Amino acid sequence: MKLSRPALLPGLVSLVGLLLLWQVVSLFFLASFLPSPAELLSRVAAIFSNPPAYLIVGKTLERILAGLVLSMLIGAVIGLVMGLRPAVGSFFDSWIMVLLTFPAISWAFLSVLWFGISDLAPIFTIVLIVFPYVTMNVWEGTKAMDKELTDMAMVFRANQFLLLRKVLIPQLMPYIFSSLRISFALSWKIALVSEAFGAGRGVGKELMYWFQGIRADMMLAWGVSFMVLMVLIDVMVLKRWEKRVFAWRQIAVA
Amino acid sequence: MSSNAVEIESLSKMFPTPSGLSRFAVLESLNLQIERGTFASIVGPSGCGKSTLLNIIAGIEAHDSGRVCIVAQNGTNSAARIGYVFQSPRLLNWLTVEDNIRFALEAQNIGKLRWNERVKKYLDMVGLAGQERNYPLKLSGGMQQRVAIARALAIEPDILLMDEPFSHLDEITARKMRVDLMHILEHAHPTILFVTHSLREAVFLSEEVYMMSVKPARIFKHLRVDIPRPREPEDPRLFDLEKDLVKEFFAVLERDYR
Amino acid sequence: MKNHAVLRISSIVSFLVLWWLGSLLSGSEILPGPVAIGHTIIENFVTPGPEDKTAVFHIAITLARILVTFSIAMVAGIALGLVMGLRRRVELAVGYLIPVALTIPTLLAVFLCVLWFGYSEAGGLFAVVMTVTPFVTVNMLAGTKAMDKELVDMAHAFKANRRLLIRKVLIWQLMPYIFAAFRYAFGMTWKIVALAETFGLKYGIGYMFTFWFEQFNMVQVMAWIVLFVALMLILEHGVIARLEDKVFAWRPVHAL
Repeated sequence: MKLSRPALLPGLVSLVGLLLLWQVVSLFFLASFLPSPAELLSRVAAIFSNPPAYLIVGKTLERILAGLVLSMLIGAVIGLVMGLRPAVGSFFDSWIMVLLTFPAISWAFLSVLWFGISDLAPIFTIVLIVFPYVTMNVWEGTKAMDKELTDMAMVFRANQFLLLRKVLIPQLMPYIFSSLRISFALSWKIALVSEAFGAGRGVGKELMYWFQGIRADMMLAWGVSFMVLMVLIDVMVLKRWEKRVFAWRQIAVA
Repeated sequence: MSSNAVEIESLSKMFPTPSGLSRFAVLESLNLQIERGTFASIVGPSGCGKSTLLNIIAGIEAHDSGRVCIVAQNGTNSAARIGYVFQSPRLLNWLTVEDNIRFALEAQNIGKLRWNERVKKYLDMVGLAGQERNYPLKLSGGMQQRVAIARALAIEPDILLMDEPFSHLDEITARKMRVDLMHILEHAHPTILFVTHSLREAVFLSEEVYMMSVKPARIFKHLRVDIPRPREPEDPRLFDLEKDLVKEFFAVLERDYR
Repeated sequence: MKNHAVLRISSIVSFLVLWWLGSLLSGSEILPGPVAIGHTIIENFVTPGPEDKTAVFHIAITLARILVTFSIAMVAGIALGLVMGLRRRVELAVGYLIPVALTIPTLLAVFLCVLWFGYSEAGGLFAVVMTVTPFVTVNMLAGTKAMDKELVDMAHAFKANRRLLIRKVLIWQLMPYIFAAFRYAFGMTWKIVALAETFGLKYGIGYMFTFWFEQFNMVQVMAWIVLFVALMLILEHGVIARLEDKVFAWRPVHAL
């Protein structure tokens, strides 16, 4: 939905106002404590003009990807089974509920105690926090499935495998997709927490390093640029993918 | 070797009453025999169990007693192929039109090599040549129902079940579909069991008309429509037949509800 | 429904059994069993731990922080959401900040606030409020926009006691959204307070996480985690669920 020009105005005005306010306030402080917009940009440029920065970001992305994929797989399978076999659903319902209660930091600590400083710790943490969300989503999806389509497939004598592939799973796709974007948003934040004290190299580690070095400017530089990257991935990759997968949904205009 | 495609004997089906405390008979000692290649209609008021009968034949619902036998075309004891057209198209909206038909072919274990020819043949037959790559939601209601018909025909069923397939369409589309179905029957002639609440539709389309009452749920009248195909919708003989049937129906209904 | 209760109980029991078996197989260094954990938790309550504080003290501190931040975030979020929902201008002016706020990772927020406010209560608590408020705001914004305009018009038409009527009409329509925000924000607040306590606050459950983690004391780390989770479960499902029933007593029960 494109906003008309007068509608964009209040937003632009406040944005400019905020930037000016930021600039003014930052004059009262050291650049390392509160950098001005320009100083922040130069920090970011300094970071990313060095090759190691890309390796660091790449490492974190690796972990996020691994954690996300595993969470989606495990979560979807468990959610599907819970939906198809109500007894299983009732049984694991409370386990999932309890898992949803765990704060990220708890798994982060436990995984470091178990796996030491490694890739496994952040990935494990991500999976344990994120997969319950996927499971709940997919489970909800199984409850909303269209019985008429299942009946139709039964009449045509489709076997279980065909039924699953062509009838059940496509109906779950909206639920899987909605949990994909939420899971991604969760995963990268958890990755940061977990890396902060449990990884050899990564963006979270950088944040922790600069936090201990009392360098707000460097923290902001890393943090903001990583946030921007995450948003870009969400909008340019995930959202687009979602659109393509659901192209069949467009009803013809009468 | 019977020439019947469908043989039903003493079929009974009970449903629990809304209170759950007792049961009433939706179908009671129902007998029905349909010869192969016949277009048979079952007509009755809503709630008389016609859809239940169809579901039992299709295997979606279980019956309580009696015998249901669908005979495969090749006369062996192998499981008969059943095609079903529902009231709503029940298409898989995320698959293209051709993939929807392929789904049924795969479900029936029909060899992949034959898929393309069948898809083309039956889409042509229902007048949807060229729509193969479209998604169902891009089609009108009538077109979607045609895909459903093509899907059921494509498996070359021993028996084709149709449960009020045109009742969800607007009147004009429905009329066209009836005429189109009539013409399709010139090319493919499976045994058809067609359920409807419209006497006119039944008389127009079928060779055999079976009338069902509610209490008890049984077939109380059977009529042959001997008018040769293709039939004209405005044929006066059809009107006469319909008038007679309506009279019979009212007589039975009055008796049943006394 | 009896089946349901049986499944629930067997689910909990089987979990405990699995846990216990796991602890036997892997040894208490890697996976302390339920008995060891339970024992440790009780000990933490009874014997004063580091700096002579018992578990009760830490729990109280954490709860107090949760109460304070949660209340502030709810009030601020509801107010902001209402204002944005009722005044389009405001929404256009600051609406874009909300997705930004929602994207900020909690870790960064905590680190920044601790750096800027110093290692103090204010810093940690501000980070929590800052992170939770946008969620409440989004909820309230959706709720305000979904309000039935006809009811508002009806209230206007009755002119008498306009303000009161509107308050009574509006608030009850917003209640489901307020409650949704309540539940969600509550769950969030717990976790963020725990995070803030790990990095930037003194005392509290999260503080204990870090303390024992830095000593590589698996039993204690797990004991405190179990304590935290148990408390959260009791509060979320015990207290809040009861509250919700009371508040929504006027709604027809859904026949499910």
